[in-house]
Amino acid sequence: MAQAQPEDKATYDQGAKLFKGNCASCHKVDKDMVGPALQGARARWEGKGDIHEWVKNSSAYIKTGNSYAKEIFDKWKGSVMTAQALSNEEIDAILYFADNQAAPVAEKPAAGAPVATAPRTTSNWPWLVVIALLLLVVGLSLSGVKRSLSNAVREAEGQEPLPDRGILHGLGQWAWKNKIFASIIGLFIVVFLTLKMWDAAWVIGVYGGEEVEHYKPEQPILFNHTLHAGKADKGNLAIDCQYCHSGAEKSRHAGIPSTNVCMNCHKAVDTGRNTGTTEIAKIYAAVGWDPDKQEYTGKQEPVRWVKVHNLPDHAYFNHSQHVAVGKLECQECHGPIDEQMDVAEQWAPLTMGWCIECHNTKEVKMAGNGYYDEVMARLEDSDMGHEELKKYLEDDKISVKELGGWECAKCHY
Amino acid sequence: MSSTKRYWKDLGELHQHPGSLEGRGNEFPKELAIDQVLGETSITGASTGRRDFLKFLGFSLGAASLAACETPVIKSIPYVNKPEEITPGVANWYASTFYDGEDFASILVKTREGRPIHIKGNPRFGINRNPALAKGSINARINSSVLSLYDGARLTGPTAKGATTASAWADADKAVAAGLSAAAGKRIVILTNTVISPSTQAAIATFKAKHGGVVATSDAPSPGAVAGAVQHIQYDTISYSGITGANQKSFGKRVFPSYDLTKADVVVSVDADFLSSWGSTSENTWQYAVRRNPDLPMNRHFQFEARMSLTGANADIRVPLKVSELPKAVVALHAHISGNSAGADAAMLKATEGAAKALMAAKGRSVVLAGSNNEGVQVLVNSINSLLGNYGNTIDLDAHSHLKQGDDAAVAQLVKDMNAGLVGALFIAGVNPAYSLPNAAEFKAGLAKVGFSVSFSGYADETASLCTWMCPDHHYLESWNDFHPKVGHYALAQPTIRPLFNTRQWPESLLAWSGNSTSYHDFVKQTWQANMASRGPVGGLFEDTWNTAVHNGVLTVPVAPATTPTVFAGDIAAATAAATKGTKGGGDFELSLYTTEAIGSGQHANNPWLQEMPDPLTKITWDNYVCMAPADVERLGLNMYLGEQAPASVVIVKVGDREISLPVVPTPGQKPGTIAIALGYGRGEFGEKVGRAACVTNHNGEFKPVGRNVYPFTSLVDGAVSYDVLGATVTPGGNTYPVAITQTHLTDMDRHSVVKETSVATYKAGDRAAYNHPHTLGVHEDVNGDGMINAQDRKPVAEFDLWQEHPVEGVGHRWGLSIDLNGCIGCGACITACNSENNIPVVGKDEVRRSREMHWLRLDRYYSSGMTKERAKEEGLGKIDMYLQMEVPEESPTVVFMPVMCQHCNHAPCETVCPVAATTHSNEGLNQMAYNRCIGTRYCANNCPYKVRRFNWFNYNTEKFGEVNPAWDDLGRMVLNPDVVVRSRGVIEKCSMCVQEIQAGKLAAKKAGIPVKDGAIETACSAACGTGAIVFGDLNDKKSMVRGLSENDRSYHMLEEIGVKPNVNYLVKVRNTEEAAAHHA
Repeated sequence: MAQAQPEDKATYDQGAKLFKGNCASCHKVDKDMVGPALQGARARWEGKGDIHEWVKNSSAYIKTGNSYAKEIFDKWKGSVMTAQALSNEEIDAILYFADNQAAPVAEKPAAGAPVATAPRTTSNWPWLVVIALLLLVVGLSLSGVKRSLSNAVREAEGQEPLPDRGILHGLGQWAWKNKIFASIIGLFIVVFLTLKMWDAAWVIGVYGGEEVEHYKPEQPILFNHTLHAGKADKGNLAIDCQYCHSGAEKSRHAGIPSTNVCMNCHKAVDTGRNTGTTEIAKIYAAVGWDPDKQEYTGKQEPVRWVKVHNLPDHAYFNHSQHVAVGKLECQECHGPIDEQMDVAEQWAPLTMGWCIECHNTKEVKMAGNGYYDEVMARLEDSDMGHEELKKYLEDDKISVKELGGWECAKCHY
Repeated sequence: MSSTKRYWKDLGELHQHPGSLEGRGNEFPKELAIDQVLGETSITGASTGRRDFLKFLGFSLGAASLAACETPVIKSIPYVNKPEEITPGVANWYASTFYDGEDFASILVKTREGRPIHIKGNPRFGINRNPALAKGSINARINSSVLSLYDGARLTGPTAKGATTASAWADADKAVAAGLSAAAGKRIVILTNTVISPSTQAAIATFKAKHGGVVATSDAPSPGAVAGAVQHIQYDTISYSGITGANQKSFGKRVFPSYDLTKADVVVSVDADFLSSWGSTSENTWQYAVRRNPDLPMNRHFQFEARMSLTGANADIRVPLKVSELPKAVVALHAHISGNSAGADAAMLKATEGAAKALMAAKGRSVVLAGSNNEGVQVLVNSINSLLGNYGNTIDLDAHSHLKQGDDAAVAQLVKDMNAGLVGALFIAGVNPAYSLPNAAEFKAGLAKVGFSVSFSGYADETASLCTWMCPDHHYLESWNDFHPKVGHYALAQPTIRPLFNTRQWPESLLAWSGNSTSYHDFVKQTWQANMASRGPVGGLFEDTWNTAVHNGVLTVPVAPATTPTVFAGDIAAATAAATKGTKGGGDFELSLYTTEAIGSGQHANNPWLQEMPDPLTKITWDNYVCMAPADVERLGLNMYLGEQAPASVVIVKVGDREISLPVVPTPGQKPGTIAIALGYGRGEFGEKVGRAACVTNHNGEFKPVGRNVYPFTSLVDGAVSYDVLGATVTPGGNTYPVAITQTHLTDMDRHSVVKETSVATYKAGDRAAYNHPHTLGVHEDVNGDGMINAQDRKPVAEFDLWQEHPVEGVGHRWGLSIDLNGCIGCGACITACNSENNIPVVGKDEVRRSREMHWLRLDRYYSSGMTKERAKEEGLGKIDMYLQMEVPEESPTVVFMPVMCQHCNHAPCETVCPVAATTHSNEGLNQMAYNRCIGTRYCANNCPYKVRRFNWFNYNTEKFGEVNPAWDDLGRMVLNPDVVVRSRGVIEKCSMCVQEIQAGKLAAKKAGIPVKDGAIETACSAACGTGAIVFGDLNDKKSMVRGLSENDRSYHMLEEIGVKPNVNYLVKVRNTEEAAAHHA
C-alpha cells in the first residue's frame, strides 16, 4: 500500500509484519474493530499505566487494579484480549507502525498483478468484411480508371466512347458470356453462405468455447476471481475455490457463496486493493454490517448475482460427481479463472458435444474407491463382463463412456 | 389353480359386450384432438388467409431466431446468511408426524432448499414401521398431504366473517377477548377431532383454567354442563363411538383398542375395512402383510361385507351379505363361539360356520373385527374375542390406542344446546361439522345462535365460513406438535418450512387467549419436560432426550404389563337386541356409506393427486357414485358397460326425505339388493373455498363440487352415527353422467400370463410347474431325446431371442423391481408417491375419460370367479347355490391387484421402433427416455406390450389445467421435485425407475468409496410400500433382496412368452383357501 515514507523504515516494517501476524484479526490501525484502534494507543495510555504489560497479558493486568485497564475492559464489553508473547521492543514496533501509518490510498494494481486480459476475439468476420469492402472500393475505382483511360484512348483514336452501362450490367454481360465459370462461382457462393449459416446456427445459445465471445455479464459487485483465487506468487490471495464454492464437493450446485462467507474475511478487510471501499461496501450493505460501529444492523438485502453458467433445464449436471469423485480441477471446465478472469466468464461452450467429448476420452479414476472395486470385480466375475472389460481396455483405460457416461438417462431425467 | 381361472377387468369384457369392446385395441382414440390443440386460440373459426398464414409463419420464424440469439439473464441469489444444514441442491430429511384426526403415522419429510416436497414413512421409528422390512407404512392420503401445504385457497391470516381480506392477529385477539367476555355466563365449548397431543390437551386445560370452569382431567361429557364452564368435546368425522361405547360397557374402558395382527392366524372381519380406513390403518396394513407371506405361517382372512371393499378384495374367503344381515352374522358367529345358538339366524349360522371353526382352532391367535358403529354389534364382537382369549394377545386394551375418542352423543347434545341458546362461544378445530354431521342443517342453525364462534380451519370451509372469526391453523408441515397415539408411545412433529401465510397454530391461539404468550414450540417442550418423569425411565439430560425425540420423531417408553386380566362384563342379550333391531325403511335397497382409499372422510378432497388416484376397485377418478350389483343394474335397466363413450346412468337415491342423484356403477362383488356410496365428496357445495380440487368445472361448464355429499344419509342411532341405511329407494333418473374410469383402456395382450395365483396347498406341495408354469415354445429338434420331433419338444422362452443380448447381466448394476402380488393390498400409496417424486401432472376428469391420465404407475385390478367346489363346501353352500354362484361370477369374484410400471425390458420393443432414438437402453438395465429427443410419434406406446407409456397431449402446466394441476401457479409449483424435468406437450413419458434416486444413490456410494448397499436406494413406489410388496434393488448384486426374490419359485415375468426380458418380476399370489378346505375335510 502506498503511504508516506516513515522515518524509521526498519521498525515500521517490523511493526507492520507483527501487526499482520498478531493483531490484525481483532484490531485495525485507524478504526475500532473487535478491539480498539491501535493508532494513538500509546498516547492514550500515557500516564495511566504500562501498555506493555497490558498487551502482554491484559487479564492479569486488570487484576493489578489499574483503573484505565478496567475502563477499557468495560468499554469493550468484557471481551478479553488473548495474552501475547511479545517483547517490549516488538510492542513498540507495532505501536510505531500504528502511529505512523497513513490512510491507504486506492491505487492501480502494481506491476505483476493481473490485468484484465483483452477480450479474446474469436471471430475474424468483421475484419474480413472490412477487407472485402476495401477491395471492392479499390476494384470499382480501378474499373472506373480503366474505363476513363480506354475512353480517352478511343477518343484519341477518334472512336465513339463506350456507353456507361453500370457495373451490374457489365457483370451480367460477363456472366452471360462465361456461363460455366459464372455458375461455378455462384455455386461456391451459395455453398459458402450455407456453410456459414450452418456454423452460425450451431453457436446459437452458446456462450463459451472457441467459436463465440464468452458470456461475461456485468455483476452487481465487481468481484475479482484472479485476485482472490490466483496464485500467491503473483501477489494474489490463493484462496481455495471451494472455500467459497463449498457446494462443489457436496451438491449438484457449486453454489454462489452466501454473503456471510464473504464476511469471514471482509469483516477485517474493508478496503480492496483495486477498488478501495466501493465494492466491499456493497457486501456490507447486503449483509447489513456497519463498518464504523462494527456491528450488524439487521438490514439485509441479498446480492443479485447474474448466473454465468446456464445449463438447459433438461440437462442434469452434478458438481460433486465431477469434483469429489472424478477429481477434476475446476479449471478444466471453467478455464483459467484464477489467472485471467477479473470478472467471471463462461469459458467452455457447455454444449452436449463438449460434455460427451470429455466423457469419451476421460479415464475414470477408480483407484482406491471401493465403489469401482466392486464394478471391476463384477466385470471380472462373468464371461459377459470379461468380454466387455476386454473391449474397454483396448485403449488401456476405462473411459467414462465405457461405464455408461454416454447414456441418455445419466444426464436427462 | 392358476390356469383354469378366467380373469376379467370389467363387465364389458366378462360378458363380451360388443359395444364396450369396440376400439379397445386402440390405445389412442381415432379422432386426433387437433381441434382441441388449436382450440386454445380457436384457430378453426378464424378466417386466416393463405397469405396471412405465410406472413405469420415468416414472422414467427424470424422472431424465434431473433429470440434465440438473445442472452437470457438469469439471476442467482444466494442466502445472505446460509443456514448451516442447508446445501443448495442437497435434500434434507426431517422426521415428523402426520395426524389429521383419522390417520396417524410417523413420517420423513424431504425438503429441498427449505421446501417440503415428498413424504415417506419413517423407516426407523414409529408404530407404522414394519420391522421386518424397515419401512414405514403410510397411505396415499398421508404422502399426498405435502401438496395441500401449497394450496392457494388456504386462508392467509385471521379473517372476520364476511371480510374479504385477512386481519392482523392483534385484531383477532381483541375480537376473541370481546367475544369471550360477551359469552360470560353461557357455556364455552371447544369442539375438536380426537386430540392425542398432550401439549394441546395442556393448552386446552390452560384455556379452561382462565375462562371459568374447573380443570377437568377427563372430558367425560356431561349433558347438563355447568353454565360458564369450558367444555371440550371431541368429534370423529368417521365415528367410532359404537366401539368405544361397547368397550365401556364390556370392560369399563371407553377406549379404542390396539390390535396386533402379526399374532393373528385367523382374521375375521365383518364389514371392517381395516386395510383402507378402519382403525389405525397405518399399523393394520403392515401387520396384516407380515402374515401374508406364504413361506411363513400365513393368516387366513374371512371377510363378511355387502360392498366389495379393499379389505374384502384381499380376503381369502369373502362372503357377500346384505347390510341387514351383517349384524345377524355377528350374532351367529357369537352363537358358534359361545355354543348357544338361541336367537341366531339359520342362514347366517351356515354362512359363518367356516369362519367360526377357523376361529375356534386359533384361540388366542385370532381376531374378530367389525366395522359397524353399533354398540350392540361391538359388544358381541368383544364377547367373541373375549371367549377366544384374544385380549392380551391380538387385542390390547391396556396399552390401548388413543385414537378415536370422539363421542357422538356429546356432539348431538351440543347441537341441541346450541339451538337452545345455551352456548355462548364455540371454538372449532380439525373438524367440519357443517359438512359432515348427520344433522348438519341443525348444526348450522345452532351456530347462528351461538354468540361468538371461532374456526381454526386453514380454509374458509363449510363450517369456518359460518363462524364469527376464522383463525387459521398452520399446516401440519409448518407446526410443532406432540402426540400420544397409544400407551407408551410418543411422537413429535417438527416444522419443515416457515409458515407460508400469517397463520397461528390453534393451541397457541388458545394460549394467547388465556394470557399465556409462550410460543407453541416452547409450550410443547415445557409440557414434555414437566411430564418426563411420568414417561418412564428415560434418564439423562432432558435436552438430550428432547433432541433425540425430535431427531427420531418418536419416543417409546416401556409399559408395565397389565396386572389385571381383561374380563368381559357385557350384557349379551341386550347387545343382541340392539344389534338386530335395525328398522327397515321404505325402500328396497340397503345402503352402506363408506370412505374411499383416496378421499377418506373428505378433509383431503381438495387434493388433486388424491382425486385423480383411481379407486382401487372401481378404477373411477374424480367422482363418487352408487356401487350396485350388476344383477340390480340389469334389473333396473341401467347402463352396465361404462367407458369413454358410454356414460353411467343417473339414479335418484332417496333416504327418508333426503334425495341425491348420482351415477350408478355396476360393481362386481356388491351383494344384490345393496348399494354403497362413498362419503367425503361434494365439498364446497355452497360456494365455500375449500381448496384447489374439491370443486372443478364439469363437462357442462359449471363450477361444481366433485361428487355429492352423502353425509346427510348418515343418522344417529342409539347415540352413535350409523353408516348403514336399510331402506333406501333407488329410482332411475332417466339421464346419464360421464364417469372417468381408467381400467377400460390400457389393455394387456392377454391375461393368462399376466396374473398368476394359486392356493397355499398347491404352493406348499412344492411343484413349481403347478403354480408357476414356465412358458415354452415348440422347436424343430429332438429336445426330449425320444427320437421324434413333435409337440413335446419344447424349450423355455428364455432361450429364444430376436435381439442381440444387452451386456447387462454381470456388468455393473442391473436395477430391478420385484413385486409380490401377495404383499400388494391395492392401497395405491405407490401411485401418489410416484406422482410426488416424478412431477406427474394431474390432468383432470375430462382427460382421464379420454384415457390420457399420466400416471407412470398403475394398479391393475382383475376379477375372477371365486366360487369353487372347495369353497362351496367351506361356506356350506348347497350344490344349486354353488352352481348359481359359479354362473354369476360377478357376485362373488376374487380380486388380484397388480402394480404395473415400465417393466424396463432388456429387449424392449419400444426402443426398436423409435425413429429418433429417444428411448434407449442403459447398461444398468434401465429403459431410458430422453424427452428432448422425443418427437411424439407414439410408436413406442403402440409397441409396448404393457401399455405403460403416457403421452403429453397438452402442456399440463398451463392455465387450461390450472384448476387441477398443482404445477400451474407459483405456490403449487413449489411441490415439484427439482431433480426431475417437467415434461411439455408432445412427448412420451414413463416410469424411469426413479433414475434420479439411482444416480443420487450411486453418487453417495462413490463419494463414500463403498459399493452401493442393498436398500440404500429406493424408488418412490418401493419406499411408499409399507407392506413390502414392491422391492427395489440391484439384480447383479448376488446378496440383494431383489435378486433373491427374482430367483424365488414364485417369481415370473409378466407376458414371459413374448421374450422381452423385463427387469421387473412378479411373485405369484398365494391364497390361503385350500388349506382351509383341507383343514375341515
